[in-house]
Amino acid sequence: MIDTWERDVPVYDVPIWTRPFAVLCGLSVVALGLVTYRELAGLGPASGMNDAYAWGIWKTFNTMVLTGLGSGAFSIGIAAWLFKRSRLHVVMRTALLTSFLAYFSGLMLLGVDVGRPWNFYWVFTPWRWNLHSPLLEVAVCMPAYAMIPLLLENVPPVLDWVHAHRPQYRPVVETAERIMVRFYPFIVGLAYLLPAMHQSSLGALMLLGGDRVHPLWQTPWLPLLYVWAAGFMGFSCVAGTILFCSLAWKRPIDLDVLTEMNRITAGLIGSWLAFRVADLLFSGKLGLAFAFNIFAGLFWVEVIFLGVAILMLLDSAKKRDARLMFHGHLVAAVGGMLYRFDPTTLAFQPRAGAFYFPTPVELLISVGFVSIAIAAFMYVVKVLPILPAPTGLWYRMEKEHKWTQDREVGASFVAAD
Amino acid sequence: MPNDLRVEKLTIAEHLEKSGVSRRSFIQLCTALMVTAPVGLTLTSKANAFDVAKAVGKARRPSVIWLHFQDCTGCSETLLRTSRPDIADLILNVISLDYHETLMAASGYQAEAALKQAVEENFGKFVLVVEGSIPTKDNGQYMLLAGKPALQVLREVGSKAAAIVAMGSCASWGGVPAADPNPTGAQGVDSIITEKPVVNIPGCPTNPYNLLAVVLEYATMGRLPALDQYNRPKFAFDRLVHDHCPRRAHFDAGRFVKEFGDEGHRQGWCLYKMGCKGPVTHAACSTRHFNEVPDVWPIGIGAPCVGCTEKATAFRVPIFQTVDIHAVTPPEALPLINTPVGTIGTAAAAMAGIIAGGIGGAALMASKRLPTGKETEKAESGSQDGRPDLTGKSGGN
Amino acid sequence: MALTRRDALIRLTAGTAGAVATGAASTAVLSHSAQAEERPAPPINAVAMLYDNTKCVGCQTCVAACADANKLGPNRKVDALYRTNRDLNWTTKNIIKLYKPADGKSYSYVKQQCMHCIDPACVAGCMFKGLRKDVKTGVVTWNAKVCVGCRYCEIACPYHIPKFQWEGFNPNIVKCEFCKERLAQGLQPACTSVCPTHAVIFGSREEMLAEAKRRIQESPGKYYQDRVYGEREGGGTQVLYLSKVPFANLGLPELPDESVPEKYLKWQKRVYSYLAVPAVLYASVVGVIRNTWKQHQEEMAEEEKQTGLRPQL
Repeated sequence: MIDTWERDVPVYDVPIWTRPFAVLCGLSVVALGLVTYRELAGLGPASGMNDAYAWGIWKTFNTMVLTGLGSGAFSIGIAAWLFKRSRLHVVMRTALLTSFLAYFSGLMLLGVDVGRPWNFYWVFTPWRWNLHSPLLEVAVCMPAYAMIPLLLENVPPVLDWVHAHRPQYRPVVETAERIMVRFYPFIVGLAYLLPAMHQSSLGALMLLGGDRVHPLWQTPWLPLLYVWAAGFMGFSCVAGTILFCSLAWKRPIDLDVLTEMNRITAGLIGSWLAFRVADLLFSGKLGLAFAFNIFAGLFWVEVIFLGVAILMLLDSAKKRDARLMFHGHLVAAVGGMLYRFDPTTLAFQPRAGAFYFPTPVELLISVGFVSIAIAAFMYVVKVLPILPAPTGLWYRMEKEHKWTQDREVGASFVAAD
Repeated sequence: MPNDLRVEKLTIAEHLEKSGVSRRSFIQLCTALMVTAPVGLTLTSKANAFDVAKAVGKARRPSVIWLHFQDCTGCSETLLRTSRPDIADLILNVISLDYHETLMAASGYQAEAALKQAVEENFGKFVLVVEGSIPTKDNGQYMLLAGKPALQVLREVGSKAAAIVAMGSCASWGGVPAADPNPTGAQGVDSIITEKPVVNIPGCPTNPYNLLAVVLEYATMGRLPALDQYNRPKFAFDRLVHDHCPRRAHFDAGRFVKEFGDEGHRQGWCLYKMGCKGPVTHAACSTRHFNEVPDVWPIGIGAPCVGCTEKATAFRVPIFQTVDIHAVTPPEALPLINTPVGTIGTAAAAMAGIIAGGIGGAALMASKRLPTGKETEKAESGSQDGRPDLTGKSGGN
Repeated sequence: MALTRRDALIRLTAGTAGAVATGAASTAVLSHSAQAEERPAPPINAVAMLYDNTKCVGCQTCVAACADANKLGPNRKVDALYRTNRDLNWTTKNIIKLYKPADGKSYSYVKQQCMHCIDPACVAGCMFKGLRKDVKTGVVTWNAKVCVGCRYCEIACPYHIPKFQWEGFNPNIVKCEFCKERLAQGLQPACTSVCPTHAVIFGSREEMLAEAKRRIQESPGKYYQDRVYGEREGGGTQVLYLSKVPFANLGLPELPDESVPEKYLKWQKRVYSYLAVPAVLYASVVGVIRNTWKQHQEEMAEEEKQTGLRPQL
């Protein structure tokens, strides 16, 4: 149960088709069917969006919020690569996969949400760009990130699989790996620069909401707060995922790595919260948090969730209590998601008399696309070496003839450098 | 007028019977009265012609004395163009027209005597109808009736009347003679006679049914209809021509006549830009037309309204000059500033609840199976190779 | 791994140099772009409309004329009656709304359509310049060829003007475009050319501002706060309003003199100016990663030796 994570190992001993997986696949198929309906009938019949609330949960939740959760590669990567927390390298693949799937599903749903997607090709014509638009930054940067650094960083597990299962392609794999090694810092550098840019631009989007975004959320620091929130949300998502998977598939838990992640997450949340409150204080808006209305209520829910999360994370790190860790990360993720969601919808009041609530079709599509991501994750971690485990588990897998290994030491890409 | 009919002691019903008018004709007359009387008169609240007949039959024909001053006789002319009741019916069966310079046979001294006699015999009971304005400058020298200034005649006769009806714009407020520079000092009746009730029925000419309605109301019910602040009967003058104009839809859609004879004019478009005074004129012309032929009224035949009932407009504002539009009641169909948008459907709310509940429940169930702190300590000893032991020891449900 | 003095010195120098370079470059770029920012001025030949609600009678001739000139059909789905739209929408570029106060007596009208702001938020937000402000006339127009239908313009507009076509496969963004085809032919926009009471009139922005001020001067106290709305609000607009009731009652928000993009996108513009800040950041990040990468490779080699397994990249 408790063991050191040293290596990423596929979940080889669980069948692909389980009940939860089937349910998620079912939801995904339903969602894709409903997408066809949306394409044919238009956005009006398929969603509850209207001219006052022109952005519904697809844009605001699936794209703006869930890619925040999918910032694990970004935040854990920065901790591992820029701050040299070498212990975290072992969870990087999980982070990369969750990030990739979160971005992929979010961006696909974005394609469903926009009204005239056939014009998106203008993103490849820089002379057409409006450089002042935060949305342009998001539209260029997010796909670029998902398709270049994030995708490339997700290639190594596939190469591992090819190396093991298709020996005839080993030379190809090794060449590819050598190329990757040469350019790795540049790819990884992009993998931190681009998310920093677009996660903050996601925050900048609501700047144009002006004073229609409630002052408790509207601030020139919105981009910074968004990217910072993405930071701790990424940690929580990855830690929570690993904990959940370890439980579901009976994999060992490395409390040292998790407690380190906890502490970093707690630190990120704490500094974020302090900055947020300080910003409100110095711009004289803190008084609004004490009004008796729904906005103050939402603010306090966020603050309480995140404050409690800090305590839970630190406490569980001290007690080395996995259940409390899971709860803590869950609470932190919910708090972060709420923060990123509020200024787009709940704390956004375009005018009097305007209201929005998603329709069942809208909800099903949203849930369906999340299901696609989760189902894909469930499948991939069973096939490719993603989830962290002790080396012993790898040996065990080899014993069961799941992966053949070339035991020739020195033939790998590392020595070649 | 034959002497024996001048002072009427018989009721209208008795009189008609005496005159040899059949009951059937009388009921027909009453039907006509009911149909043509304007809404707002007690006549129209009767259920059928027989009720009308009962009311009318009981009444006595009021005595009416009609005086002409600075007039063109147009208002008398307009009265001739009625058929329900027609002028004969009117003066023979409904009212007793005891003095009317145009219609009566007498003239000269006989006419003077007729007036004197009519006034004396019906002292305090007759209705004085005035047509034409009264010159007041220089002691009223600019019009003499049998040597007497019109001003004096009005005062003498008016002081003995039960009620006065100023027929037409001239009698109501001065009309054409009062147009700038008003050299004769022409004025309407109610600025000269202030102690008697005066009903103004402006118009040039006014619709004859306006007069008939007032007279009928007085004849049958003994009272005058409701009047506005200018003493005009509300049933005709409480609305603007513009508000009931058949061409209003064209105004609302921006279809204006630009030139007489153009395509728009042929199509019957709005005449506002040709100077129609409909938006500032109170009158009933837009709903009750003239000559009993539909659409025979100025706008109906393609001529812009000149505002002949209004003192501030008629013979003052040029005919082809457009007017400002004020005080128009907004239509109910106009949207309000903040239209509500967006709802929450029950199905959507339920689904959102289920989703949230499902995720929360799954998370809760999952976390129950994770080891807590105490169990973790127990299980700290893990094996380095081979599959660690995961069953039994910890992670209870 | 132990750090030699030499390594430490190199790292420290590199780190400091990187930090200083980033700081210097950022400051230079930010201050340069800050200097370059000034409040946008109205275009030279800015066209304008002046709407005076003391003259408007709510006849809706302008609504009908706009629909005709722009070939917008009635939207039977919104309302069973023709053209009785409750709000601007994808078949209505211009609408008259009624302000009915509680006392039910002192009602007034407002004509709603695109304000053609001097510094439009919709233009600032649109990714591919789908909404564009003409440099000469200042008219804000929509380009179907590049619009992606993301509806950011709807979020950005403080007057809630752009409307999206929520039905069908090829949705448009619909809003008043000042009858640009008519302007090109030297005609007035449809609405101003048909108003029977001349409540809405057309001219250059200077002319309309002058006319508005003249009316205010002629009748002091007649208009709300003796002010013409749109002169400065939200950076200034090209549709000006004179009203006898508070503008907020008519749905015209009280905005500061700074336009939405000016006020809220300041830092976004500065940070991304010339992409200098990102470039410098990237250079520093890559520098640090190269260092870590070397370390990581050493660790992987070590692990490979110990376990005999291929290292995982």
